[in-house]
Amino acid sequence: MNIPLTTLKSRTARTAFVAFAGLSVVGTLAGCSAAATTGSAGSGTSGSSSNGSTSSGSGATTSSSTASYKDGTYSAPGSYVSPGGNEQIKVTLTLAKNIITAMDVVTVHADPTATGYEKQFEGGISAVTVGKNINTLNIGVVAGSSLTSQGFNKALATIKADAKS
Amino acid sequence: MQRAEWSFEAIGAPWRISTPGEISDATRDAVTARIDAFDAVYSRFRADSLVTRIAEAPGTWSFPRDAAPLFSLYRSLYTATEGAMSPLVGARLENLGYDRDYTLQARNEAVDVPAWDDIMQWDGSRLTTSAPVLVDVGAAGKGYLVDLVAEVLRDGGVDEYLVDASGDLLHHGDEPVRVGLEHPLDPDQAIGVCELQNASICASATNRRAWGDGLHHILDATTGEPTSTVTATWAVASSGLVADGLATALFFAAAPALSVDFTFDYVRMFPDSRVEYSRTFPGELFT
Repeated sequence: MNIPLTTLKSRTARTAFVAFAGLSVVGTLAGCSAAATTGSAGSGTSGSSSNGSTSSGSGATTSSSTASYKDGTYSAPGSYVSPGGNEQIKVTLTLAKNIITAMDVVTVHADPTATGYEKQFEGGISAVTVGKNINTLNIGVVAGSSLTSQGFNKALATIKADAKS
Repeated sequence: MQRAEWSFEAIGAPWRISTPGEISDATRDAVTARIDAFDAVYSRFRADSLVTRIAEAPGTWSFPRDAAPLFSLYRSLYTATEGAMSPLVGARLENLGYDRDYTLQARNEAVDVPAWDDIMQWDGSRLTTSAPVLVDVGAAGKGYLVDLVAEVLRDGGVDEYLVDASGDLLHHGDEPVRVGLEHPLDPDQAIGVCELQNASICASATNRRAWGDGLHHILDATTGEPTSTVTATWAVASSGLVADGLATALFFAAAPALSVDFTFDYVRMFPDSRVEYSRTFPGELFT
């Protein structure tokens, strides 16, 4: 796929959004490059590249539309407001000779309750959990909700029994 | 080491209080009286409670002093969750079948959850309502009652205790307790262990108090529907009030939005078995 930057503007509605996201990401990278030149670590980096090169993200020499960009794969977060609410996205694009050779837009949060703050929350760790049998653990009490209202549990049992008969 | 245990039934659920020595009869009576007094105000399952009277007609209602922290917490979390966690879901819960008689059958006609400022005003001790409204403090009430019971214990000279209100816990003492985090899909399993000391841990899950077809007791007040994006939550905070409230709020807001007003640790579990937890969580998650 070879899409010159300039042709992105004339696509249909869905692609038009992608074009917007892509262009705003380039703008973000330009901001990163300013930071990079002052010695900060560039955040617009990516370890993968479809053409084998890895960019430091400091490739944007200017932020104007006539700029020439260093080849490489760039990745940056973004957000937009969809009919379903605020969505966080991650845009990855590969540039070669000022042409986008690959672009990928993924929605970062499948969880609609997540907010843009979430990624910045220093303490948050995400992992897949594996249950362990309670009897094998040296614990005296349990925090959970299995012991809910007994009236509720009785009523539920009655309804289940009614449903079976 | 906790030696004495006192088990009893209150607000429809089993409780257990562990202490180094036996709790005196006088203190036990005081605990029972405190729970009754709380229930008489806040239980929407009692025909004679204050919240049941408020649900019958608009007016201005005086609350006991314990109401101020509870309404204040609810207001903070209502704001932090952008209206999703609300004490005004009571009528909708009944409408979905979670009512005094536990009919557990959703009615055909849906009722809307009113916006707080449209229907009531809290001035710190009195609630003024412009229409009949069913206040439901179920999202933080049990944790708060744990705090209030602990206060009675301390008044009775008991300063080391573990109060366990069916999975909502408050600990005070020199020796921490290991608390299993019950797997929401299998009560024989735990997804982690919390080292609890001088703090409260409260849990909430959508699948326990559930009565079929996606119906459970944690409602998003902005939609009036049970929420489904988070399966279970645990919150650790200095009080049961805050821990219990946050355990519900974490269904509707991510931790950073809540950490503006509250200091806490937490675990959230999602339907795909992913867990998200604070880096400083006191314990271990099995991952």
